[in-house]
Amino acid sequence: MTNPIIRIHDAEANEIIDREMTQAEFAEYKKDQEKFAKQKVEGEAKAQAKAELLERLGITADEAKLLLA
Amino acid sequence: MATTTNYGWTTPDDTALVKDGASAIRTLGSSVDTTTKNLNPETTLADIAYRSSTANVKTRLGIGSTGQVLTVAGGVPTWATPAAGGGMTLLSTTTLSGASTTVSSISQDYQNLLIRIFGATNDTADGYWYVYTNGALDGHNYAGISGSSSADSPFATRNNVLHLGNTGQTHDRTSANNAHQILFVDYTATTIKPFIISGTYQRTAAYFEYNAGGANTKAAAITSITVKNDGGNSSAGTIKIWGIK
Repeated sequence: MTNPIIRIHDAEANEIIDREMTQAEFAEYKKDQEKFAKQKVEGEAKAQAKAELLERLGITADEAKLLLA
Repeated sequence: MATTTNYGWTTPDDTALVKDGASAIRTLGSSVDTTTKNLNPETTLADIAYRSSTANVKTRLGIGSTGQVLTVAGGVPTWATPAAGGGMTLLSTTTLSGASTTVSSISQDYQNLLIRIFGATNDTADGYWYVYTNGALDGHNYAGISGSSSADSPFATRNNVLHLGNTGQTHDRTSANNAHQILFVDYTATTIKPFIISGTYQRTAAYFEYNAGGANTKAAAITSITVKNDGGNSSAGTIKIWGIK
C-alpha cells in the first residue's frame, strides 16, 4: 500500500513536487488523524450536551447567551 | 576707506577727493559683481542654491534625475533616489493538493508575512483545516485570544497548530465558500512572532466567522507553512503568500 501524496512548493525556486509521504511523515500523519478524530468526537459530544441542556431548560441558544451577557 | 554695512563693499570716504571717484566706483562695482555672483551661483535651468560654510557665499546644486528627492547628506541638501519601501510582494501562489500542501523556502527578506488560504475543499469528508509552520506540529506554541461566532477558537488543544476556523468545527468538504488570512509580524524573528488570523467558512451550510491574535513562540524564523485537512485529500483551494516590507 502506498502512503498518501503530499505537495511541496519551493517558493524560492517556484518548483512544485508531489511525492509520497515518507514513513516518518506517514506515522505523524496517522497520529494527527487520530488526534483530530478524537477532537471531532469531543466536539460533537459537547454540541450534543449543549443541545440537550437547552432542551431541558426550554430555552434557545440566543436566550442562553442573553442570560450570560 | 569706508565699507558698506552688509557686504563690506569699499566706498569713498565722505571727504575723498573727486579725482578718486572713477577708481572708487570701479572698485565698488567689482565688489557688487563678485558678491552678486556668490549669492547667485546657479548656472542651469532648475539649479538651486544653499548657504555654504562661508558667509555671503552660496553653493550651487544642480537638478537631480527624474524620481529623485531632495534629502540631506553630510549636513547639506542633495538629490537622491528614494529607497524602495512599503508595499506587498506576492511570493507564491500554490494550489492545494494531496494529504498536505507545504510552501517551503519562504523568503526571509521581508518584515511581515501575509498568508491567504481560500476556496479549500477536500475529496472525502468534512474535516478540520489547519496550518502549521516549519514542517513540524510539535514545539510551536500558538496562544492568544479569539472572538468568533462559535464558542471555540482557532487554537488547537495542544496549541501546536492554527485551525482555519474553530477547533470544534469541521468545514463542509465541498463548500469553496471559505477564506482565511494570517498575518505574521516579524516572521524572521527567532523569538516571538505575533500573528492575527481571521476568516469565514461553511459548516452544515451555515456561515461561521472567527478572528484571533496571539504569538508563535517557537525559537525559529518561519520558513515554511503547511496546510492540511483531516477529512481527506485536498481537491481544490489556493494558498497565496505575500511579503510585506
